[in-house]
Amino acid sequence: MLRLAPALLLLGLAVAMPLAGASAQERARQRSPAPATARLSFVGLADKAQVPARLTVRFAITGMEVVPAGQPRRNGGHHHLLIDTELPPLDQPIPSDFNHIHFGGGQTEAEIALTPGKHTLQLLFADHNHVPHDPPIMSERITVEVPATPAEKPRSAAAPGARVFFIDLQDGATIPSHAKIRFGAEGITVTPAGTASPNGGHHHLLVDTELPALDREIPSDFNHLHFGRGQTEAELSLPPGEHTLQLLMGDHEHVPHDPPVMSPRIRVHVVADGRPAAAATPSPSHIHGAGLARTAAPNDAAVYFIYPRDGDRIYPTSTIRFGLRNMGVAPAGVAKPNTGHHHLLVDTETPSFDAPIPSDLNHIHLGGGQTEYKLTLPNGRHTLQLLLADENHVPHDPPIISERITVIVAPGGPHARRRR
Amino acid sequence: MISQARIAAAGLFVLMAWPGAASQALAQTPARQPAPPGAQVYFHYPVDGLSVPERFTVRIGLRGMGVAPAGVDHARTGHHHLLIDTEPGPPDQPIPSDYNHIHLGNGQTEVVVTLPKGRHTLQLLLGDYTHTPHNPPVMSPKITINVR
Repeated sequence: MLRLAPALLLLGLAVAMPLAGASAQERARQRSPAPATARLSFVGLADKAQVPARLTVRFAITGMEVVPAGQPRRNGGHHHLLIDTELPPLDQPIPSDFNHIHFGGGQTEAEIALTPGKHTLQLLFADHNHVPHDPPIMSERITVEVPATPAEKPRSAAAPGARVFFIDLQDGATIPSHAKIRFGAEGITVTPAGTASPNGGHHHLLVDTELPALDREIPSDFNHLHFGRGQTEAELSLPPGEHTLQLLMGDHEHVPHDPPVMSPRIRVHVVADGRPAAAATPSPSHIHGAGLARTAAPNDAAVYFIYPRDGDRIYPTSTIRFGLRNMGVAPAGVAKPNTGHHHLLVDTETPSFDAPIPSDLNHIHLGGGQTEYKLTLPNGRHTLQLLLADENHVPHDPPIISERITVIVAPGGPHARRRR
Repeated sequence: MISQARIAAAGLFVLMAWPGAASQALAQTPARQPAPPGAQVYFHYPVDGLSVPERFTVRIGLRGMGVAPAGVDHARTGHHHLLIDTEPGPPDQPIPSDYNHIHLGNGQTEVVVTLPKGRHTLQLLLGDYTHTPHNPPVMSPKITINVR
């Protein structure tokens, strides 16, 4: 199951080495002080609990503040989840690998996947340099157990002729160790996990593994990558050498369809791309012109309407208010991770996610970082939708988009007489 | 997939950037950014007098201005600060950073806070790219909530 893990772990350590070397000279291992009253714990997860193979773990910190990694702040830090491992040295940056999961974006919850059996979980808070505080702020180490053998699940039907395939990637291709893999689907719709829809599903990328059992949930581990938000591409890091890749569609419960919708298994030859670690950081979104690369967004980010709500009656001139969860707002043109600016789509279809959002009366750009907009509409029924986009006005990957709501514009607004 | 390389590189960047940023901040007291007339920051949630659970999301509204992450010098923008159980400081000084002054430096417009049971005050204050309030300060009325 974890065949890939040791190789990737080595890769991670190799990359972390220069960092450790540099920090020694800059006395960066100084530990940030923490108040003695700070407490870190799991929310709703007790020691010796039975948990499903895929679970959401929530973290609670009191007495300190969660700030994204890289922002030095007094009494601030970000979470690290230690899985099946002892505490790392407390005067060093916490390692970054599959046993030490960093939440550098300031996340306070995470969906993790565990293999059947017993596992230990522990939280450790660390400062902007990933070094634990002094005294260390950590939770107690708890043991959880995942029961063996997931139950068999009914399979969803797939249209005959539905297929998935790799885009621009042939059997025997040579790819760099950091490569963007694109998935295509034909005859079947890509829908997020958890949303039951006829003839819909989401991608799974099988790396260096045989097909799993087709009558049950596709495992979730480093060899079976889930794209539950309906992503159609992934940035893959593989150690140099020969690897196999295969796509397999899963339905809303991650079970393959009947008949299964999968690509042939292809072999790829991975060569080291020779990029130093620093060169990997510039965001691909700076490439202008044709084929704009999309900026990555956190999986748990969401944009939504604070006002109005779906079905509301509103005044002809109303202030539309936007909410954004787990990301920040930045004016257009500002490239900063985990930020974007709002677009209000009025009476229009969802635009393509691969191109800049058009700018016209139906696509209102809030490029100044606005979080509300005074909109005047003629009487009648209208649809509104929010779509976040990066500094180039291109939606993120996965797209941060609200549901499309319908509002009824009437002169009396919410007080207009209701036709019921 | 998490790219270890990216995390390491980000860490490295911070190491190099921090001493520079610190000395710069000490070197000068920045001029205050003007706030457009009518700019207003307000609470969507909670509202004054509300009873809330210990862990709740504060949602922030901003009228007449835009949000930009800290460090981004852009006219008519700023980033939010949530003041908990404290008075705003002098308006010509950067807003302190501690757990009474929560900085939303990445341009966030909502924040989850966990507070002990009892009465607490909340107030919003916009800061410019140097964390200094605008002129005049864009500040919400102070509200009182009851954590149950």
